[in-house]
Amino acid sequence: MNSSIPRREFLKQAGMAGVATALGSPALATLAAAADGRSVTLPFENGERELVAFPQKRPMIVLTSRPPQLETPFSVFGEGVLTPNDAFFVRYHWSAIPTAIDPQSYRLKIGGHVTAPLELSLAELKQLADPVEIVAVNQCSGNSRAHFAPRANGGQLSNGAMGNARWTGVPLKKVLERVGVKAGAVQVAFNGLDTPPAGDGPDFVKSLNIDHALDGEVMLAWQMNGEDLPMLNGYPLRLVVPGYYGTYWIKHLSDITVLDKPFDGFWVATAYRIADNACACVAPGTTPAKTVPIGRFNVRSFITSHQDGARLKAGKPVLVKGIAFDGGYGISEVAFSADGGKSWQAATLGKDLGKYSFREWSASFKPGKGEHALMVRAVNRIGQSQPATPLWNAAGYMRNVVETTRVIAA
Amino acid sequence: MKIFAILLLCAGAASATEIKLPDETAAYKQSTLPGYQLVLANCLLCHSAQYAQMQPPASPRSYWEATVKKMKKPFGAQFSDDDIPAMVDYLAKVYGAEKPKP
Repeated sequence: MNSSIPRREFLKQAGMAGVATALGSPALATLAAAADGRSVTLPFENGERELVAFPQKRPMIVLTSRPPQLETPFSVFGEGVLTPNDAFFVRYHWSAIPTAIDPQSYRLKIGGHVTAPLELSLAELKQLADPVEIVAVNQCSGNSRAHFAPRANGGQLSNGAMGNARWTGVPLKKVLERVGVKAGAVQVAFNGLDTPPAGDGPDFVKSLNIDHALDGEVMLAWQMNGEDLPMLNGYPLRLVVPGYYGTYWIKHLSDITVLDKPFDGFWVATAYRIADNACACVAPGTTPAKTVPIGRFNVRSFITSHQDGARLKAGKPVLVKGIAFDGGYGISEVAFSADGGKSWQAATLGKDLGKYSFREWSASFKPGKGEHALMVRAVNRIGQSQPATPLWNAAGYMRNVVETTRVIAA
Repeated sequence: MKIFAILLLCAGAASATEIKLPDETAAYKQSTLPGYQLVLANCLLCHSAQYAQMQPPASPRSYWEATVKKMKKPFGAQFSDDDIPAMVDYLAKVYGAEKPKP
């Protein structure tokens, strides 16, 4: 629909051969850094993306424009431990999304297997209980999918479909107590204002087990980082499910339904399922015998102070910084390697903003002349860590391999 | 930089938040294959072209076939079964493993 297409097609073809041979090699560096302000080339084959400023957002990596799916440029994670609202990633499933919402007429309906079904205005919801705050990471199930080998089809994301924010809202528990959950309730289903654009496609509805819904931590949030949610992040209200993948964090929340039997909708019964084993993984190219709904994040860590291809001064100490997080047990240690994993040193952990937050870390080293493969590996409080080689599944979920950032000292 | 957001923030009772999404820039790649016109008619109704464009170039015909069928059932797209073979052919040859090598 506009003249930029031929240029992009050209870039794609011109870049292909180089990318294929560059994967996993130092030449990758130049690819990762290639951005001209309007586009960026992510470090995998077919990784050219536009950068566009959507409403209430700074220029972000466009995965798809309709519905909007926007990835956070990775340099943002080096700006601070909280991800700014205008750079927070956006993920929708259906293209019929709300673009205008009147907070006066907006209503949240709570019903199903309850004593007293209720409709709440936003103002009423905010008065229902004392507001609570929690700092929590939201991460797409398919964050980093494009780095899978063999490649996995689906949204071809690099590492920017994650973010950390301070959420303000009321515990879901308070709302459920208000309506009175009846005996025999097993799950709670959540729906938002986004709908399939045509036909009889399955509305995006998700469910949580009743015990989880009543744990006091799952929250209905109207603010992130002290401001109203941006429209594309779920204005005026979204579900916050600390430690769990973003698929559960229903945006533009409109309906909460308590169920006396397990929810059997497409987005839980068929989609967003993982292998029912400890690694949620299978041998490449195979499918699991048994699956379960995706759940908590695994452990991840990243270097954010330096990106691939960064140039350092040889012989001068360098402070390397980054982030680590997990599914809510809390990060207990972070190890840093400046020699491609041959030796490791303990990183210094930053301020603890809670077990669901990014945890900052730092470590220093003195680079000799040449190339250095910087690596980071985190461990959580129950001893879970990250694999040295990537785990695989066909959906491209839950990547958490030990990451490597290649830098050059001269 | 263009600002697309229209924020109507009033002090009084009437307040609404409204956004205007930017124009789409992606387009399906032109082709003389019969599936091209079908893809324009059937796919763009629901989503932008990047959904196909971004897939790994080695994606085999079986992926495109499964995906086109998934768009119809369970996802509810309203195209005829008769359109499927030509759509799959276009997608496999333009975005997938059957793309001619440069």
